[in-house]
Amino acid sequence: MALAEALVGDDDDALHAAREAALAALGPEGLVDAVAVASNFQRMVRIADGTGIPLDGPLRVVSEELRDQLGLERFAASANTPASSAASRLAGRLIRPVAFRLMRLVGRSLDRGSPGR
Amino acid sequence: MAALSVLSGISYESAPVPVREDLPQAHRDAWAHLAAPGSWWTGAERVALAAEVRAAADCSLCRERRAALSPNAVAGEHAEAGDLPAAAVDAAHRIATDAGRLTKTWFEKTVASGVSPGAYVEIVGIVVTVVSVDAFCRGLGVPPHPLPEPRPGAPTRYVPAGLVEGEAWVAMLPNGPARGAEADLWPGRRTANVLRALSQVPDEVRNLRRLSAAHYLEPHEIVDPGAEGHRALDRRQIELVAARVSALNECFY
Repeated sequence: MALAEALVGDDDDALHAAREAALAALGPEGLVDAVAVASNFQRMVRIADGTGIPLDGPLRVVSEELRDQLGLERFAASANTPASSAASRLAGRLIRPVAFRLMRLVGRSLDRGSPGR
Repeated sequence: MAALSVLSGISYESAPVPVREDLPQAHRDAWAHLAAPGSWWTGAERVALAAEVRAAADCSLCRERRAALSPNAVAGEHAEAGDLPAAAVDAAHRIATDAGRLTKTWFEKTVASGVSPGAYVEIVGIVVTVVSVDAFCRGLGVPPHPLPEPRPGAPTRYVPAGLVEGEAWVAMLPNGPARGAEADLWPGRRTANVLRALSQVPDEVRNLRRLSAAHYLEPHEIVDPGAEGHRALDRRQIELVAARVSALNECFY
């Protein structure tokens, strides 16, 4: 977590310390993975916020309660996602218990095609 | 601006730890993509936009805006690195430094200033490529790679068929099976909006997928919360890092 936070921040000394701590805790391969994931999400957040995309429909339905608990509506980019209807909130409560299994099924149904060059 | 032939390799031999080979390969591909003419910008313009991303880190206007209650309350000029349209420079700097506070109104003003929606989407693709590769270097404590030497040629002005308006600020391909020349953009019958977001410029989606597969996971693994991705970190650790970075960036998506 400290590594992720330091990578988003601009304190190079803090980043150096976090890198050393992550290396000790995760090992070399774990450090590389952590840096790779953190830098990946420095990219993804800018795509989402730079293009004004809304939350995907199914995710919007199942994540309603969690978003409320985390107070994510305070983020400016929440304006890009329409408010949920009462029916959508109800559907979210019904689907949530099986959402994990449904997402696994969807993931397994996708092919593994690679993008062209 | 330091230049590097895209034919010469990007490597992480100076990194403090060994780096698995798919990462430098993805970064070499990304740099080659950056240097080539795009749909709306020449190779030289694309590399100039990449230089703006780096200039934004030391831009006093960007710093003042980030510290302000509203970024729109601070006027001024960016510390520009090249000779690009002002609206394109502003877009590159704002997406790089304060994306969480961009608004649809700001996007519409950018388009009204002469940056076409397609050119804007391509700017997003360029910015996020440089931001993520540079962040990876910084995370490992190695210097950022020199920007590539631009390749000659004109933009293709390619517009994929079937773009739909109204879901996001930018037009996107519909959320169904990717078709025709864009059939390779995503697998299966549906995909996430974050992949569709750049679909007005299909090559930016392809570049995004190559980078994401090396940095994070393949699209089918992202959808499946039980997929581990064959990394040293397990899926919960991966998602914890992802969530923390997203929260610090105040990313609602």
